[in-house]
Amino acid sequence: MKRYFRELSVLGALGAILLGLAIFAPAFYQPQPLLSLLTREAPTLVVACGVALVIVCRQIDISVGSIFSVCSVCAGLLAARGWPLLLVLPASVALGAVFGAFNGVLVAGLRLPSIVVTLATMVTLRQGLNLVRQGEFVNLPEGIQWFGLGQTTGQLVLVISSVVILILLALAMRHLAAGRFIYAVGTDAEAARLAGIRPQLVTFLVFVSIGALTGLAAMMNLAQSPQVQPLTGHGLELKVIAAVVVGGVAISGGRGNLWGAFAGLLLLACISPALTHLRIEAYWEKAIQGTIILLAVVADGLRSRKGGN
Amino acid sequence: MSPAPLLELRQLVKNYGGVRALRGVDFDLRAGEVHALLGENGAGKSTLIKVVTGAHAPNGGTITLAGQTVSGLTPATARALGIACIYQQPALFPDLTVAENLALRLNVPSPAARMRWSDCRARATRLLARIGAEISPDAEVRSLSMPEQQLVEIACALGSGARIVIMDEPTASLTQKEQHLLFGVVRDLRKNGVGVIYISHRLEEIFALADRVTVLRDGQSVGTHPVAGIDEAGLIRLMVGREVAPIYPAAESAPGAVVLSLNQLGCRSSGVSNVSFDVRAGEIFGLGGLVGAGRTELARILFGLTPADSGTITLGGQPLTLRTPQAAVAHGIAYVPEDRRRHGVVLDLPIAHNLTMAIHRRLFPTTWLRFGAERALTLDYIRDLAVKCSGPEARGGSLSGGNQQKVSLARWLATKPKLLILDEPTQGVDVGAKSEIHKIVRRLAKEGLAVILISSDLPEVIGLSDRIGVMGGGTLRAILPGGSDPHVVMAAALGTTA
Amino acid sequence: MAATPPAPTTGPGTWKSRLLSHEMLLFYVLIALWLFFYFAGTTVNRRGVTVGFGTLDRQFDILRHSCEIGLLALALTPIIITAGIDLSVGSLLGLCAILFGQLWHDGGLPIPVAAGLTLVIGALAGGLNAILITALRIPPLIVTLGTYSLFRGLAEALTRGSITYTDFPASFLYLGQERWLGLPTQAWILFAVAIVVGVLVHRTTFGRAFRTIGFSPEGARYAGIPVARRLALAYVLAGSIAALAAIIYTARLGQAKADAGTGYELFAITAVVLGGTSIFGGKGSVIGTLLGVAAIAVLKNGLACLPVVMRMNAAEEMSGLLTGALLLFALSVGGMPQLWSGFRPRASATSPLLPPP
Repeated sequence: MKRYFRELSVLGALGAILLGLAIFAPAFYQPQPLLSLLTREAPTLVVACGVALVIVCRQIDISVGSIFSVCSVCAGLLAARGWPLLLVLPASVALGAVFGAFNGVLVAGLRLPSIVVTLATMVTLRQGLNLVRQGEFVNLPEGIQWFGLGQTTGQLVLVISSVVILILLALAMRHLAAGRFIYAVGTDAEAARLAGIRPQLVTFLVFVSIGALTGLAAMMNLAQSPQVQPLTGHGLELKVIAAVVVGGVAISGGRGNLWGAFAGLLLLACISPALTHLRIEAYWEKAIQGTIILLAVVADGLRSRKGGN
Repeated sequence: MSPAPLLELRQLVKNYGGVRALRGVDFDLRAGEVHALLGENGAGKSTLIKVVTGAHAPNGGTITLAGQTVSGLTPATARALGIACIYQQPALFPDLTVAENLALRLNVPSPAARMRWSDCRARATRLLARIGAEISPDAEVRSLSMPEQQLVEIACALGSGARIVIMDEPTASLTQKEQHLLFGVVRDLRKNGVGVIYISHRLEEIFALADRVTVLRDGQSVGTHPVAGIDEAGLIRLMVGREVAPIYPAAESAPGAVVLSLNQLGCRSSGVSNVSFDVRAGEIFGLGGLVGAGRTELARILFGLTPADSGTITLGGQPLTLRTPQAAVAHGIAYVPEDRRRHGVVLDLPIAHNLTMAIHRRLFPTTWLRFGAERALTLDYIRDLAVKCSGPEARGGSLSGGNQQKVSLARWLATKPKLLILDEPTQGVDVGAKSEIHKIVRRLAKEGLAVILISSDLPEVIGLSDRIGVMGGGTLRAILPGGSDPHVVMAAALGTTA
Repeated sequence: MAATPPAPTTGPGTWKSRLLSHEMLLFYVLIALWLFFYFAGTTVNRRGVTVGFGTLDRQFDILRHSCEIGLLALALTPIIITAGIDLSVGSLLGLCAILFGQLWHDGGLPIPVAAGLTLVIGALAGGLNAILITALRIPPLIVTLGTYSLFRGLAEALTRGSITYTDFPASFLYLGQERWLGLPTQAWILFAVAIVVGVLVHRTTFGRAFRTIGFSPEGARYAGIPVARRLALAYVLAGSIAALAAIIYTARLGQAKADAGTGYELFAITAVVLGGTSIFGGKGSVIGTLLGVAAIAVLKNGLACLPVVMRMNAAEEMSGLLTGALLLFALSVGGMPQLWSGFRPRASATSPLLPPP
């Protein structure tokens, strides 16, 4: 399928890395470390789904890292005050949605460029958090880590729920009219408007969704450790954007899908363990990540060049 | 007493900032008629459509649909009320497939509705077959040609079951074959009791298709007439408010030496092959043909935008390879492009900047900007070409179409070219500016410039050119003398012998 | 048809519109900020010595500390005018600092040679961005996001995350820690670069080309402007200015390490946008950028002098918070007219995410 060439090539690269690990470092496939790896990436996957929606809508959100931090710390504080998990979870999601809505109002309502708006919210939220918390950790009460289910069960719950969210969103993007609206707005907002879609509303709701997803992801992260450290979420935005772009979601909007983003995320997530298992120093991780992003976009560039115009 | 008209507009007013685009338009559309809307550029046709389709809200007046006054029209409600529109530029989503486009355009589903892709596909296939288009419903729209996209638009209008269909210059980018399909669709719609608002600059289409015609001038309707009761001269009189004889300035001097010589020129990627002709100094060489004949593609080769891969270009006796526009400019080739607003003029920049853009090297040899010299030069050209503007600092976007075209032309005249390629120089330009541009082009030829004139306006290309090269299917089909019988030119363009 | 003689120009350029231009508004805000901190942030200590914001030393300090971000903002101004963006300048600063240290310390090169080579390396790194953006037509946002990771990653890999180069000679540190002709030495470099970039953007055909490309890349191409070469110039220039900033950074702190300049790109972009350069391209000025840098610097240092903030020991966070808020405010005020008028001229037509042709 020509239309899914990009997604398939990412899967191919992922397969190659996994195969390489199977041959040279079979230790990678021990169930417990593998599960831990997947658990660590579960919140990232949820955020990546949101970022994919935003990029398909021809916007960008670099404030997800800060929203993630703020939601984590706030949720942690609520939990430390003895709020039950069933209240903390919706509170975190709602808080994320509020921040998303704020971005959404500025981008969709005032029609400001999303890169600058989310840059500003990113700086504001991060520094605001630092100002209020001064880098303090939040100690969580018993029963929050792994949702009180024990480590393995908790890890499975996290991984499965993140994958379920991915599947639901991917199906919605393909089979619900709302999903097509996002693609339509990302391709050509004016044409969408003439077709009776309200592009500003769609954009706003996409930002609300990414906020809510980030709030949810913050909870999924919270459940993995006995403490919340305020630096959590630093650099998340770039990691997630990289994964989504490597997965073939076009930064110019309207193209790509969540499965590609998923594959891109797994590809990037495998680098670090692959480095350790292949005995390359871990300092190279970031450089290799950058190279992979560049390779992915170079491949896109070459392909669109060959494809005419 | 006849039933209430499908659509009735009374004293419609629309302002953009301080500009009054519509100042009291009356218009009505009956079921089962084709009602043509005619007017110079800027007369308010596009604004009228935008108001009727709900894209923009009017500032005054009433819109009555089948006897019911409606207010607060949005694109969605307009569609729900049975209004469909085919835009000049297809308003499709290039990254989505034809079937997906049709599904989104035909009825905006509620966001939570499930898309039934097999149904959508089947309907798309059915609609495309009904208008006789050979397009796969699974093709991504970006891979379609402009006329094919227009056909998808037509399929949208057809499938929407609308009672009112608006067509804004639907034939602007169609080839002969697709025009026939379109005319069939229009007649089909009329037979089924649909009201069609048909906007076109091409009078012959109006006479062939429409039942009634309304002329707009300066945002007002100046008259509605049955087509049977009015002739071409009468319509033009209504449009411009004065008599304009369609007289083309005659050639006054014999052409000089050969400036440009093409031999077997071709470029595979843009579908041009085997083009050979000469253009002499002081000659206007017209390039006629239908849209898609390869004329703009040929111009893009000559301007270095899509380099040739076979054949030779000789300019002033010197063989050339043109790989970039910069090389073409350096050799004295100038190209006034077809798409004025995207390529011809940078709308956000002042006229002065637009005008000197191609002569940076000559006007500012040290790269240091000399504002005084720039301003003087700009004022010269504003005066010379009679550009209506508030001064050299006026932004390109603030000018009317005809004046933008003059600025685009002035930019290239300032390069003192040897060869000037004009691509549809009068498309979308009002009648007054059109004849001014004709006079300028003739004057330039008289001053010894070699001109290639690409035009889809048959009278223009026949009347203005000294010789006419007729293109079709990416190659040169015939070279005819200026003033040839239009039927002969058309026959050559179609590849038949008349 | 009679020619209409062009009317004498009024409209843009009258004194009234000039006084209300973005740059002037920012200038008023800057003055107000400065006066506020002058009165609220200056105190006399027990020994009768004036301390805080109002002292000359403090003013020089502000200048000294804003040089690197100022240079990066200057580097970004032409790029943003072309409707591009460069997220990699901060990372490149880190990489260049490391390479400079290595060339001098490990390579044994004299400081001037090492500095010259560093500038060349910066230009080459900018050239990498330029090639990917112009030859392959990839959107600048995503290219420079990739190089953002790559450059920082290389810096970390080259130092294994731990090596720091120190013990630079005093003659070199003079550049970053002393004064020359009354001003901090590096301020002269900042001014020189500002003049060069200002002339380039406002007084030469290169600047014209940047603006044209920013407004309409296709239009620029059809006008015979060498779009790819002009874009490449902007990115290569940005690379070398980032390298220059790296040298100054090293001289100011007396050490080169891999995390140099982390997050600087955000401050630089903020300064440029605050200075009135449109992220959609075409519009912008170097004066505006300098004012933007100054506003951020005064805010940051002024806050540190306020007694309240000193007690909280949170100047850094407070200034970051206020910078972000200031940017949001500037953006919202700029966006309000569009909300009122209901339709906008060009925002949807171009996206900062789209590639240049």
